[in-house]
Amino acid sequence: MSLIEINNLIKKYNTGNETVLAVNDLSFSIEQNEFVTLLGQSGSGKSTLLTMLGGLAKPTSGKIVVDNIDVYELPSKTIADYRREYIGFVFQSFQLIPYLTVEENISLPLSISDLTNQEQKQLVKLILEKVHLEKKAKRLINELSGGEQQRVAIARALINDPIIILADEPTGNLDCKTSEDIMKIFCELNNDGKTIVMVTHNTAFKKYSHRSIELSDGRLIN
Amino acid sequence: MKLYNISLQSLRRKKAKTFFLVVGLILSVASVVTLLTVSKNVNASIAANLDEFGANIIITPKTEDISINYAGISINSVFYNNNNELLTNDVEKIRTIKNKDNISIVAPKLLSVEIINNKNVLITGIRFNDEMRLKKWWNVNGKIPSKVNEVLIGSEVKKKLGIKLNRQLKIRDMDFIVSGILDATGSSDDGMIFMDINESQILLDKRDKVSLIEVSALCYDCPIEEIVRQTSSVLPGANVTPIKQTIESKMTAMHRFEHFSFGISLVILIISMLIVFINVNASVAERTKEIGIFLAVGFRRAHVMQIILLEVITASLLAGLIGYLIGFLASRFIIPVLTMDESVRIVYDYSLMIFSVGFSLAVGFIASIYPAVRATRLDPTTAFRSL
Repeated sequence: MSLIEINNLIKKYNTGNETVLAVNDLSFSIEQNEFVTLLGQSGSGKSTLLTMLGGLAKPTSGKIVVDNIDVYELPSKTIADYRREYIGFVFQSFQLIPYLTVEENISLPLSISDLTNQEQKQLVKLILEKVHLEKKAKRLINELSGGEQQRVAIARALINDPIIILADEPTGNLDCKTSEDIMKIFCELNNDGKTIVMVTHNTAFKKYSHRSIELSDGRLIN
Repeated sequence: MKLYNISLQSLRRKKAKTFFLVVGLILSVASVVTLLTVSKNVNASIAANLDEFGANIIITPKTEDISINYAGISINSVFYNNNNELLTNDVEKIRTIKNKDNISIVAPKLLSVEIINNKNVLITGIRFNDEMRLKKWWNVNGKIPSKVNEVLIGSEVKKKLGIKLNRQLKIRDMDFIVSGILDATGSSDDGMIFMDINESQILLDKRDKVSLIEVSALCYDCPIEEIVRQTSSVLPGANVTPIKQTIESKMTAMHRFEHFSFGISLVILIISMLIVFINVNASVAERTKEIGIFLAVGFRRAHVMQIILLEVITASLLAGLIGYLIGFLASRFIIPVLTMDESVRIVYDYSLMIFSVGFSLAVGFIASIYPAVRATRLDPTTAFRSL
């Protein structure tokens, strides 16, 4: 059984009088510890697929089964727990809380856990070392460069030790050198056992992944 | 880090937003505290003045006769009932009732109609100190009698008997000096001759006798009926009658000010709720992206609501305490101005501190419930799309 099973997935949006078919009958699977890139033009349904995988947008029909759990059969409260335990999100625009420091942003998912402050600090310290930001723990987000901010976002995605990392254009706002550094971090994470699903426009990043899935108009084309 | 740390950091680092929220609430709490403290103290001050402004209880001897009334008070016993008269020591009994602290003035009177220069004149024995406190509107030309054989006459007596200040006046073959003349009051006082009650008892041969007793009770915060009941029990041979008109006019004056204060407080309450509502609602709209992040990292809707409510509750708590202190200080300056009395002793109600914190929390909580619920109902897809 694959880690992620997607069966006949359909997602429709209503925009005014028009119904947009964002994802059109998708079916595929992703194995544990696989690194998959989702490619496609803007509006091809990549990000919609990612949000559905993350338990944030209910499909119109079809199923997403992760680790034998039918995600959208879960009660709404438990879907939040699913996100916390299984998924780590990384976004193009980093999406960090500006009024929190680096270490506070990283420990954000832990704030609703039963861990003590001391236990949280130890975990944050380990993650900060992993992304080489230990000296910037007390800084506010706007005091960091784009690359550093994305490393903070990756650290936040890892703090709960999820098995899946969902990355939506994680290098979209970064220069080439920094993008390469970030991709290396994703590769290291994949080597550590994480399953990575990454949305990207950049076909050059196919080389880092085990497999690429290309979407067009919500359909699988490759 | 815990959820409350997120709320506290949000308040600490979003200084402008926190400033407007807290200042809005501080102004409201301070205004309400000032208004209530001022209202309470000014009411007490007005009440104290009003309570000494005329009697509100009349005590007369009991009678079996058909009642002859004037303004609701039986007066026939005063003149015709010689078997059941009040005594001087009855005056002191009034000061022994349970609510004796509410008794402000006790003014006994001995009345007798005498013929002077072929005219009927009412002689009234009084205790001048008590009477002057009771009838603050009295304006005396000359001086208030302080020696034996001195009398005070009403303006009508002066006119009808043709007596002038410091001239002699003969009553029952005794000579008296007119030491003072009352300015016209428009009441029965204008037709009376006033002398010390002890002298009148000797002159009229009614030793230890009293015709009626006027009592001024401090009734702002006491039931007049209860004082009447207690007085009746110590004076079983007397009719104790509350002057309802006086009491009601006093209470009306008090309640008018109280209603005004509560009306203004209500307006402030509504305004402060609107301030908090607008602030928190705008904050939720601004924070769609932030709420998206919270949901993406695994927060439940209840966690998002907790963060928003904790922020408002913390700000409200702070505003409640600061607002109380400001209101407390402001009332110290305002009360002496309003009461026109620099020496007024301000009564502070420390339970008002609990009230102001509670008021602030309630305003903050009620006004932010809708925005907080709106935040939790935010479609995750909408929140996520903004990321």
